[in-house]
Amino acid sequence: MATPLLELKGVSLAFGGLQVISNLDLHVNEHEIVSVIGPNGAGKTTLFNLVTGVYAPEEGDILFEGESIVGLPPNKITRRGIARTFQTLRLFLNMTVKENVMAAEYGHTHAGIVRSVLRTPGMRREEREIARVAEEKLSFFGQRLMGYRWDQPAYSLSYANRRRLEIARAMATNARLLLLDEPAAGMNPVETHEITELIGKLREELGYTIFVIEHDMHLVEGISDRVIALDHGIKIAEGSFDEVATDPSVVEAYLGLRAEKEAS
Amino acid sequence: MNDDLRQRLGNLGGLGVALLVWTIYAVYFSPTQGWVFFFQLSVNGIILGSVYALIALGYSMVYGILKLLNFAHGDVYMIGAFIGFGVLTLLGGPLNPAIPVALLVLCMFVVAMLGSGFLGLAIERFAYRPLRDAPRIAPLISALGVAFFLENSALLLFGAQFRNYDGFDLISYNGIHLGGDNGVFIQYLGVIVIVGAFLLMLALLALVHWTRLGKAMRAVSFDREAAAMMGIDPDRVIAATFFIGSALAGAAGVMFGLLFSQIYHLMGFLAGLKGFTAAVVGGIGSIPGAMLGGLLVGLIESWARGYLNGNVSDLVVFGILIGVMLVRPSGLLGTPALKKV
Amino acid sequence: MSENTPGIPESSTQIGVDQWVERSDENIERRRGLAGRIGHLWELIPPAGKLAFLTPAILVPFLPFVSEGNLFNYGLFILIYALLALGLNVVVGFAGLLDLGYVAFFGFGAYAYAFLSGTHSNKGHTYSHHWDAQWSILVAVVLCAVLGLFLGSSSRRLLGDYLAIVTLFFGQAFVVFTNAADPYGITNGSNGLANVDPLTFFGFKIDTTRGYYWFMLGCVVVVLIVLYCISESRTGRAWKASREDPLAAEMMGMPVNRLKIMAFSLGAAIAGLAGSVFAAAQTGAFPQNFSTQVLILIYAVVILGGTGSLTGMIVGAIVIIASNQVLDSTSPPNVARVLFYLALIAAVYFTMRGSWVRLVAAFAGTVVFGLVVHAIVDAVWSRGTAGQVTSGGFLTGLIRNWVLLPTNPGRLAVYGYLLMIVCIIALVQLKGWWRLVVLVPTLYLTAFVWENLLVQQPAVTRYVLFGALLIAVMTIRPQGLFGTAKVEIG
Repeated sequence: MATPLLELKGVSLAFGGLQVISNLDLHVNEHEIVSVIGPNGAGKTTLFNLVTGVYAPEEGDILFEGESIVGLPPNKITRRGIARTFQTLRLFLNMTVKENVMAAEYGHTHAGIVRSVLRTPGMRREEREIARVAEEKLSFFGQRLMGYRWDQPAYSLSYANRRRLEIARAMATNARLLLLDEPAAGMNPVETHEITELIGKLREELGYTIFVIEHDMHLVEGISDRVIALDHGIKIAEGSFDEVATDPSVVEAYLGLRAEKEAS
Repeated sequence: MNDDLRQRLGNLGGLGVALLVWTIYAVYFSPTQGWVFFFQLSVNGIILGSVYALIALGYSMVYGILKLLNFAHGDVYMIGAFIGFGVLTLLGGPLNPAIPVALLVLCMFVVAMLGSGFLGLAIERFAYRPLRDAPRIAPLISALGVAFFLENSALLLFGAQFRNYDGFDLISYNGIHLGGDNGVFIQYLGVIVIVGAFLLMLALLALVHWTRLGKAMRAVSFDREAAAMMGIDPDRVIAATFFIGSALAGAAGVMFGLLFSQIYHLMGFLAGLKGFTAAVVGGIGSIPGAMLGGLLVGLIESWARGYLNGNVSDLVVFGILIGVMLVRPSGLLGTPALKKV
Repeated sequence: MSENTPGIPESSTQIGVDQWVERSDENIERRRGLAGRIGHLWELIPPAGKLAFLTPAILVPFLPFVSEGNLFNYGLFILIYALLALGLNVVVGFAGLLDLGYVAFFGFGAYAYAFLSGTHSNKGHTYSHHWDAQWSILVAVVLCAVLGLFLGSSSRRLLGDYLAIVTLFFGQAFVVFTNAADPYGITNGSNGLANVDPLTFFGFKIDTTRGYYWFMLGCVVVVLIVLYCISESRTGRAWKASREDPLAAEMMGMPVNRLKIMAFSLGAAIAGLAGSVFAAAQTGAFPQNFSTQVLILIYAVVILGGTGSLTGMIVGAIVIIASNQVLDSTSPPNVARVLFYLALIAAVYFTMRGSWVRLVAAFAGTVVFGLVVHAIVDAVWSRGTAGQVTSGGFLTGLIRNWVLLPTNPGRLAVYGYLLMIVCIIALVQLKGWWRLVVLVPTLYLTAFVWENLLVQQPAVTRYVLFGALLIAVMTIRPQGLFGTAKVEIG
């Protein structure tokens, strides 16, 4: 059995007196699309923060490609191959669309200050490559982020385009594992459908492994190989979408227990 | 919550131990031995510390509510001292005082506090309010501009020479000697300053915990937008905070003038830095922290001045500041801030 | 919708192209009138072209009215501050860090050069190194870079405001240490280091003001090119990104802490370069050259020019340093006076711009108001107008008959100053005709304060002005003259 691309073993984290993640075990295999669902406050974004190195787990271990990444600074974790998008968009708003994507290629490029000043042929070649890669990632989203859009400041983009740009930016880091935090938040059904197809394409055509937090069940159903349900930092169910959606503890977490007695 | 309290008690405990060790060393093992010397310095330190505590309160309150370091705060303190001097000259000097000295001093305090308070209001209104939503660096630079403006305006208007509070021989520097003529000397003025500062701090605590304004201040410091949505006008609350903080600084300025007599246009710079140190050491955003921090800074400066020498004492104080910022960034009584990503 | 949205002509619509986005460049920052057009054109010029604009500067020493003293005080200082501003711009503009101790790097570079290329003896120790400039400048710059690295690494654990305080402390510590009489006589206390060699490169000596001017110009051009190249590279993008959103930048693979430290270090190195050349030009390094005033001047240049903009640094330096020099106590007051009244006129123009009527009314009103008040006071209290005009020169007659000049301005001037500030604050709040009504006496009052107080202490006045300038720029136009208006993450 191949080693999972990402693995969490017995991870726990508490903020002050509040236990946000409790003894969590999960794994994501290569080329899988796994969704994480759960009511608000279940610890889903905290999970992403743990994986990307914003927080360090108090107990347990996090392994990427079999090696522990606990204690590494976030930029190193990104360079290993994990990139994410944010629940509340965090674009570089005052930079252009293309610059946003080009900036994210920092981790796998090498021209330092000296070479940049001297404009060595190697540096210029690298700059051209950076621009080409950026255009390539942006082209994945059709015509929306192409052409004249490259030089527009990011704040001029519509909401849906901003979400797409964030994904393009994450792709530019040469990651193998993409963590998408509520990619369809605030989108109408048409846009949600587009994102569903997009995520599928990311796996089929470009071979990404994708770990998604999402509330929209249509999206979750449409893309997931596996679904993990969290509540209060504990994994309460795992399996295919159908299995998890009908799991009684998941239903309880979302909807609450049925009242024992009807009010008379 | 438990964790915070535990950490704070731990900090205080560590502080207590450090102070104990230092006391023992100073009294028995240092080059200048003896209880009297130590206590004299400590008394002076507490008096000075009360002044710093008042300055620190202003810094702490403003930082708590706006997350802004008001560089100009020290200069408000300086203006307060000059206002006091102005009142003194106007009412006390040339006219053989028609008013009793106690009333004169009270007048100085009231006018200086009001004047500084309004100055603080003006500064907030013109230099900081337009920058509420600007990047963090903008109000800091504006504050720098205000500080520079105030310092040089004072230089322009009052000249570079020191002005003396005791130029009119109105202030008595008498006091009592504890333990005989060679014992510890405690100025009456010093006692007045400590008591006055303490009363002001109590009043502030009462305001923050028991009045609606105080609740509003705490709400705005947690989440300005949410407070606004709850019907609190953040502009007015912030303005009130500035007024109170600046008034306290003004009072501190007059106290300094009474105690040490000499005031000049750059006095706010150093005092402001020390007040800031006190606020950080005590835990920025915390009122008891500012009080504690102020006393500590005053004591440390006094001890450094006594056991080392005057020039080094400032460096020691700032060394403590840097140390605390690196080791315990939230200070002795502050809460480490958590941010949701 | 198209009637209300700016910049979209009704007739030209293209399918598949978002009109608003297409024109977003124009919609940003189109200031009206001539200034806006020039600004827009300027932005279209390629960087090499902008650099070419500096070529006439080479000819400045040959201009007839430029004396040796002027060239030193204006030309050379403008270039030195331009260089310092470029360095500070890297820290504040590119990396977004507030370094309040920046002037210490300037001083450190100067002292390092002075030590390595000079002779001085103090406390029985004699230090006599006479290194060639290429080595001493190199060492000074490298030392500053290392110092910047060290100070910058403290930014690891400190939030922006705390970093500001720590750097402020560092700057103060520098002044304290250089002023202190140290046992080995390295800094020579407040006397500073004199006897510093002029710049000597491989035997070739620069010892004329013109020489320094051209050398500094060269330095500025080189640094401009270097900074431009860096900003258009992956490091520049990373700096921009970590300024926009440090957390997101870190998550996208950029080592934000390391980038900040690099920026600090580069800024420090540039300041070190400026310091070295400065020390050589004035053949000495003295503690008072590196005071808080100098720091505020550098900040004024950077803020006025616009953080992040290289052009802005040059323009800002010209404006600020020229004003600084004009208001120096060694400069003839009449130059400052003329500029002051011109500034008043400009202020009236900008406040009353909306309506011709009000503009004329403002000017005429002020003149008439002044004459009337002057006549009344003259009649009622003769001492109110019997004072002297400070170095009035050709304007004395005009001023004496218009501005109140009490024989003993003293306290009146103080009250006048305070009242003037209150009036200016009130002015900002008012609009329309009320503004005009308050403006007239305020202008007169300002002239009064100027003639009776400010013109006598120009050196202090300029600092008051620079302080006010920082506030004004930040609250009215935070991007300065040439910076780009930034959108904040809401």
